[in-house]
Amino acid sequence: MSIRLLQKNMRFLLTWLPLVLVGCSLFFYVMLRIQAHHMQDKQLQLKQRNVWDAFIKTSGSMPLHVVGEYDIEKISGVRNIIPGDIRDTSIYYQDKKKQLPFETLVTYRNWQGNNYNVRTYVSSTEISHLIIKVFIAETVILLLLLFTIIFLNRYSAKRLWQPFFETMQRMASYDIARNQSLNLPVETGITEFNTLHKEINQLIDSSNIAYYNQKQFVENASHEMQTPLAIIRSKLELLINEPGLTAKNAAILQDITEANDRLSQMNRTLLLLAKIENNQFPETETIDINDLLSQLLANLQQYHESFPSLENTVSSDISLQANRSLIEILLSNLLNNAIVHNRENGRVRIMLTPSRLVISNTGKDLQYAPETLFERFKKDSYSSKTTGLGLALVKQICLLYGYTVNYDYRDGWHTVSVIFG
Amino acid sequence: MHLLVVEDEQTLLQSILEYFAQEDFICEGVVNYASAVNKIEDSVYDCIVLDLNLPDGNGLRLLQYLRKLKKDDCVIIISARNSLKDKIAGLDLGADDYLTKPFHLSELNARIKALLRRRSQHTSDILIAGIFFIDLAARTATCDGQKLSLTKGEFDLLVYLVNNKNRVVSRQAIAEHIYGDQSDNIPSFDFVYSQIKNLKRKLKEKGHDDLIQSVYGLGYKLSL
Repeated sequence: MSIRLLQKNMRFLLTWLPLVLVGCSLFFYVMLRIQAHHMQDKQLQLKQRNVWDAFIKTSGSMPLHVVGEYDIEKISGVRNIIPGDIRDTSIYYQDKKKQLPFETLVTYRNWQGNNYNVRTYVSSTEISHLIIKVFIAETVILLLLLFTIIFLNRYSAKRLWQPFFETMQRMASYDIARNQSLNLPVETGITEFNTLHKEINQLIDSSNIAYYNQKQFVENASHEMQTPLAIIRSKLELLINEPGLTAKNAAILQDITEANDRLSQMNRTLLLLAKIENNQFPETETIDINDLLSQLLANLQQYHESFPSLENTVSSDISLQANRSLIEILLSNLLNNAIVHNRENGRVRIMLTPSRLVISNTGKDLQYAPETLFERFKKDSYSSKTTGLGLALVKQICLLYGYTVNYDYRDGWHTVSVIFG
Repeated sequence: MHLLVVEDEQTLLQSILEYFAQEDFICEGVVNYASAVNKIEDSVYDCIVLDLNLPDGNGLRLLQYLRKLKKDDCVIIISARNSLKDKIAGLDLGADDYLTKPFHLSELNARIKALLRRRSQHTSDILIAGIFFIDLAARTATCDGQKLSLTKGEFDLLVYLVNNKNRVVSRQAIAEHIYGDQSDNIPSFDFVYSQIKNLKRKLKEKGHDDLIQSVYGLGYKLSL
């Protein structure tokens, strides 16, 4: 399974960033509580001093009890409370009719031979409100931070990778058969992309050169073979005209002639394939397919003694814009295949609609994988009468004009369909 | 008939010359551009068989030069290149026909004869050979004055055999002549067999048995 680069990045951020932020918030909360507690402690101690100072200054004439502020108690005998610790407590307020939380600190003092118990209070309501407010503010800030980071990251990643996606798109549309150059910009402003583009450009240029050379090689080799083939053919023709030809020699000559013809045919087809690949059929015209199809069928019916029975479903007035000789080759190859690879007393079905041509014929099932049917030199081992290039030629022509060609075998019927456009 | 063959491949040139010597042609052969120029400057030929790829020049340039000399010798191009562009270029420069290698000598023979017939003004559409009188325009043939009723294929076959009379014509050459070479499939010889069979039967009906002989299944020969 693969996910997009941006998604991957986002997922990473979305997994880790909230965890870190929650951790930070907890830490912050704990620190805040500790600091608040410390501050209350200091406040209580300060208040103890102030109250006691004031008590001594006023010679004990100040009020001994102020609610929420302090209590001074003269004690005799047993000290019943352990001093020096901050404790939680609550005080009932008449006007608010409820207990309010306070922190309290108790110390023991001695003045003029009497023992005093001094208790000071600070309200913990305000401080806990403050803690809550600060914590909420902090949470809001962190959330804002989270969204900003995600947004910025998304935006910057998109911007950063933009040239990369453009490059990918252009590479996807690259077709070596068209021999085009990609010419990716070498100055994108990002060093890595510059290098990438440079490498891709080089790679494509060298592929183009290799492909071009290969095509040229096939064409040149085929060309060069034409002359020796012509020599063999002409010598064979002279030989069969020699007087005193014996039956044995004639049989040998026949084998040579047949092999040579097959070689010529193969060579011619290879040359044709190379030419189609090299785009040497630029001339196009409007071709009446019905017309061409019936012409070819009439010829074939004449040429083949055992012509399979024919079922024709052809809608009229269908024309294509293409090179006439290529379309002729396409049709005659398909029709010929339907006849040659048929069984005895077989049948052929032809269906032509404006969008497709479907040719089906009865016959033995394939001896190899159907996917390889359109590859060069694929053929049944029992058929030496074909070069194995016919369907490769069909495929090449379809490729040239953007047609789709499919093969299917079902219930003893081979079906080849060509979908125009 | 005076024939010049310009072909740089010595062995192929030999074959062509040998084949046409039997046709009572006066044949000359050259293997390069320079000697071809000398030949066409010096004499007039009925037909020039011209290869396009010469070691010291292009056949098309030779053709241009020939037309510049205001000579209207028939020219038939034989070339390993078979693109439409080359064909059109050749025909535009005034070639009369274009044959792609590898070709059958019998096909070259038939084409040359057709060209020469077209050139001669009186009998351009009439082919007379032995007992045959063939009207190529009307596509009718008579044998000893008796009309033969032939199908299109049989007529083409008869003309081809007559053009190559007294020679063994291979069945591949016949198949390719009639069948064309567009298809990837090796032509089925059933067709050739049946056409020959029918033609022989029709000739036999007119009292001419054994005009066409089969030579060990290699080919057929029309003896006149």
